[in-house]
Amino acid sequence: MAWVPLRLLIRVFAWTGLTALGGGRSAYFYDAVVVRRPWVKTSEFVQDLTLSQLLPGPNFANLAVALGSRLGGWRGGVGALLAVLVPGALVLLGLTALYFRGGFAPGTTRLMHGMGATVVGLVLVATAQLVAGSVRGRAATAVAVTTFLAVGPLGVNSALAVALVLPVSLWFNRPRRR
Amino acid sequence: MADLLHLAWTFLWLSFIAVGGGLGVLPEMQRQVVGRYGWVTAREFVDGYTLSQLTPGPNMLVAIFVGYRAHGLVGALVAGVAAFLPTSLLTAVVAGRWERLRGRPWALAAERALAPVGIGLMGAGVYTLARSAVHDWVTAALAAAATVALAARWLPPVAVVLVGGLVGWLVGL
Repeated sequence: MAWVPLRLLIRVFAWTGLTALGGGRSAYFYDAVVVRRPWVKTSEFVQDLTLSQLLPGPNFANLAVALGSRLGGWRGGVGALLAVLVPGALVLLGLTALYFRGGFAPGTTRLMHGMGATVVGLVLVATAQLVAGSVRGRAATAVAVTTFLAVGPLGVNSALAVALVLPVSLWFNRPRRR
Repeated sequence: MADLLHLAWTFLWLSFIAVGGGLGVLPEMQRQVVGRYGWVTAREFVDGYTLSQLTPGPNMLVAIFVGYRAHGLVGALVAGVAAFLPTSLLTAVVAGRWERLRGRPWALAAERALAPVGIGLMGAGVYTLARSAVHDWVTAALAAAATVALAARWLPPVAVVLVGGLVGWLVGL
């Protein structure tokens, strides 16, 4: 596969990053590099998507790095990461400065409280959509519920909870000899 | 200076336990940045997460919001770099070798083992957010209405969040 020119890669990834609002953000990448441009095969995209979810860190940034590396080597990876992060980071930085300096108009607090409540619905639906594909069988359900209860209602440190639950989950899913 | 190092270290290790994305790390992030270090209040944290939902890019950009509150522009830069750079480097290194690694039996086992852990963490993220953002019947109704509207795909996510803000403004939350 021929590498994509860096400037073009950065332009496409920056635009994808800027327009990918709301849930299901990886779908925007699929559209940009598989559907609209013949840069990546579906199987390669799925491979990079799986990797980005498997590794720690924000999935969206991981996916940009994986696709960018595939399309342009390490320069592509760096360019893709900056392209999807910097525009959003600058917008958020501007809003943050405005928020803490009281630059938001009176009534914005009420606006933010309303938006905060709807975001709960947004993340609930996004999580529910993933449950069907990710949690299959009693063992996986037990692992998911235990992790939820420990980190959520019981307030156990997340790193500790993952360190305790992950080995059990790995044991359930260990490679078996036939 | 010591607090800046705490900020960098906190977002660094938080990014490494972000299995399944930024939402999964939300409970621990709140415990650290609100409860332990007091960089932001619980209310500010929810507002920061909401702003990160409304802006392009990953929701982990909330690190910039927290970093800015704690140490201004330097804090925003430090928190942002700590939250994204190390895990991105790991991805870049593994991505180059993944073609060879993914065929191994343990790679598939790790993939299957991590999925339910990630879902559990995301569920805990929803719980944490709900505890801070839903505090009366109006916010509960807004969260429920948003859930229905999004599950039925009546409106795109950003539109739902903006409508929620408008309702909150009108009823004086």
